[in-house]
Amino acid sequence: MTMRLSRRAALATGLSATTLAAPAFAQTRERVARVWGEPGPYIGVFTNGLNEWAQRNAPGLRFEAEQIAWDSVYTKLATDLAARRPPALISVESPIAYQLAAEGLLEPMQDVNTAIRARERLVDGFTIDDFGTWKGTQYAVPLHHQGCLFIMQDDARQEAGLSDPTNWTWNDLLNSAKAIQAKRQGSAGFTMALGRNICGDYHIQQLIWQAGGMTWDPARSFETTFNSPATIETYEFIKELYATMPRSAVEFSFLQVVDQHVTGRTGSSFYWGRTMGRAFDEAKPIYEKMEYYLNPAHPRTGARWSWTDINGFIMPRQNNPFIRETKEAMAHVMNSTDWMVRYANSLFPNVGPVFKDQATAPDLLNNPMYQQKKRSVDVIFTGFVPYACNSGHELKKGINPLAGIGHGRNVWSQVAQRILVNNENPRAAVEWGHRQFEDIRRENRRLLG
Amino acid sequence: MKFRLSDRQVGVLFMLPLIIAVAVFLVWPIAEAVRMSFVRYNPLRPDDQPFVGLDNYLFVLEDPLFWESFWQAIVWTGWSTVMQALIGVGLAMLLHQPLKGMNAFRGLLLFPYIVPTVVIALNWRWLFNSEIGIVNHLLMSVGVIDERIAWLSTPTMAMTSAILLNVWKYTPFVVIVVLARLQTIPTELYDAAKVDGAGAFRRFRDITLPQLAEVLAVVIVFRTIWTFNKFEEIYLLTRGGPGTSTYNLALYAFDQSIANLRMGVGAAAGVIMLLLLLVGSMVYIRVSGFGREDKAV
Repeated sequence: MTMRLSRRAALATGLSATTLAAPAFAQTRERVARVWGEPGPYIGVFTNGLNEWAQRNAPGLRFEAEQIAWDSVYTKLATDLAARRPPALISVESPIAYQLAAEGLLEPMQDVNTAIRARERLVDGFTIDDFGTWKGTQYAVPLHHQGCLFIMQDDARQEAGLSDPTNWTWNDLLNSAKAIQAKRQGSAGFTMALGRNICGDYHIQQLIWQAGGMTWDPARSFETTFNSPATIETYEFIKELYATMPRSAVEFSFLQVVDQHVTGRTGSSFYWGRTMGRAFDEAKPIYEKMEYYLNPAHPRTGARWSWTDINGFIMPRQNNPFIRETKEAMAHVMNSTDWMVRYANSLFPNVGPVFKDQATAPDLLNNPMYQQKKRSVDVIFTGFVPYACNSGHELKKGINPLAGIGHGRNVWSQVAQRILVNNENPRAAVEWGHRQFEDIRRENRRLLG
Repeated sequence: MKFRLSDRQVGVLFMLPLIIAVAVFLVWPIAEAVRMSFVRYNPLRPDDQPFVGLDNYLFVLEDPLFWESFWQAIVWTGWSTVMQALIGVGLAMLLHQPLKGMNAFRGLLLFPYIVPTVVIALNWRWLFNSEIGIVNHLLMSVGVIDERIAWLSTPTMAMTSAILLNVWKYTPFVVIVVLARLQTIPTELYDAAKVDGAGAFRRFRDITLPQLAEVLAVVIVFRTIWTFNKFEEIYLLTRGGPGTSTYNLALYAFDQSIANLRMGVGAAAGVIMLLLLLVGSMVYIRVSGFGREDKAV
């Protein structure tokens, strides 16, 4: 029996076979392990280190950096985890690490921390637990830290006849912002992020802590404590301070605050080390007059808390075929002072060194910005550490897995927007926020155990 | 053995890609959205999806933000669609004139429609940046304004800016469709009207508009549906802010699903949007009399 295949059938068969085989063919050519990190060159540098290990020890494996803006991290997490296609490794701030650890989604990382001697090498003031330990299990490997600080243009300060900001309180901050605004027409006195985004959350939270407020109290079964007088006082202060800011601060996120400062449109601002790096690259006159200080203290409490990125590497546990190789590659990079210095130098002084050998390495200390701005860089790298705090570990009273969810919903900045945009009474807006946080606590009670 | 397909089978084979595409990309997602609207689904725990009955719908309907978003979606859709229709018809009439080089203008007009939304929205963010944006700079340079306008930082201006972007981007769609219809209107109708002494406005009202009625009905339904569902423009331009002043239902559904990790609630909001648009479109088509002439024939 002869079987003749018509041209049409042959074409259809060929097309079908190609279509079906294409994805499989593409996947077998090379194994790609995705590594998520913040926008910026540093995650790429770390990934280069991982690939150095892969080339020697795992032919066919390639690590690939994916930059995820923090405002988008939930979108990526939710969609990729739901699609059962998580990245191999995520560089993440501790509030999200705590949340995912409590959800049972993370791979324990004690073995990596042991392999890199993280406990002995960690810089003073931080513990491994700060980076993502939940119920005694370490789920994160320390990667970097960055504290949010007060940045002042010293020429603007001197023009306005203001004192040295080292010992300033909130009152001094407000008065200086008003004075600079009056002196420099068209320039803001002060700038912070007040948009409905994670940067707004961070800037607002550090002020709440300085006033003695908290969102949840881990010491009292995570009771929602947001509607305290301290929180209301903070939002009233922000409202007053807003008069010295650009009107569009209510839409500002990370980038806009830095833009505002490096274009000389503000006399002072809250931000992390990146403002100095951007000014160094793009605006030398601004850079030369720029100084970093600890945040102004609350007049009553004297507290100067900084919202701190306590950034570690976490690893999704389910549907992650790269666990063993990635852990080995991480150990390779993190045991190398050279790679860790390259990592910190790639966006100096934004990613603070977490290991002592890295922090004291000549290549880091010889960075031109370190040489020229030693006092400010010391504040950024070490000076703020006693005041380091974040929403997953408020006032260092206990680890809280609810904070990441709060950031996903930007509740802190939404409260500010209700006050500044909708002209809502601060007390009423804080009560609204309190209800949102209480909802988060009720919906996620299972995480608290 | 010779393997031959009948014409009917070949026809089915040609339709198969469309049938598969519709089933996979339209029917299945809608069915999945309806299913998800009846379960509690945290995307971080995809294996745990308990049935919750109508809870998600009750949550949505009792949420003040849903109703705020609903009214803002009406404002956003209403103004965008009306302005697109008015400007679109006006521009189509201009481009219908037999002038030299008109084809170049017609081509240029497509530019906003062709450029990806993400590029446009991010550009607009820069243009309308109240501090360093060129729009404020130009307006101040020529003395139109003394103080910078906070284009995206006050509720009214943010909504206006979002509507302007939508109108700028999608008016070309209206122009193309209306222009195509204008070119098919018999010129004899206008000649006869002129002979009868009808002026330009009378000719527009009594000839052009009735001739455009059906095509406008389709355009307005499409633009209403697409604008009401629009997510990326507002998300990229204002993220629904400042406050929640430019939040629409698409943003509400997205935030519930992703930021709030309530996929079920987001799906319920999506199903409600689907029903609203279905009912709205049916009512509009009935009121506008679309297809009535065909039936009469």
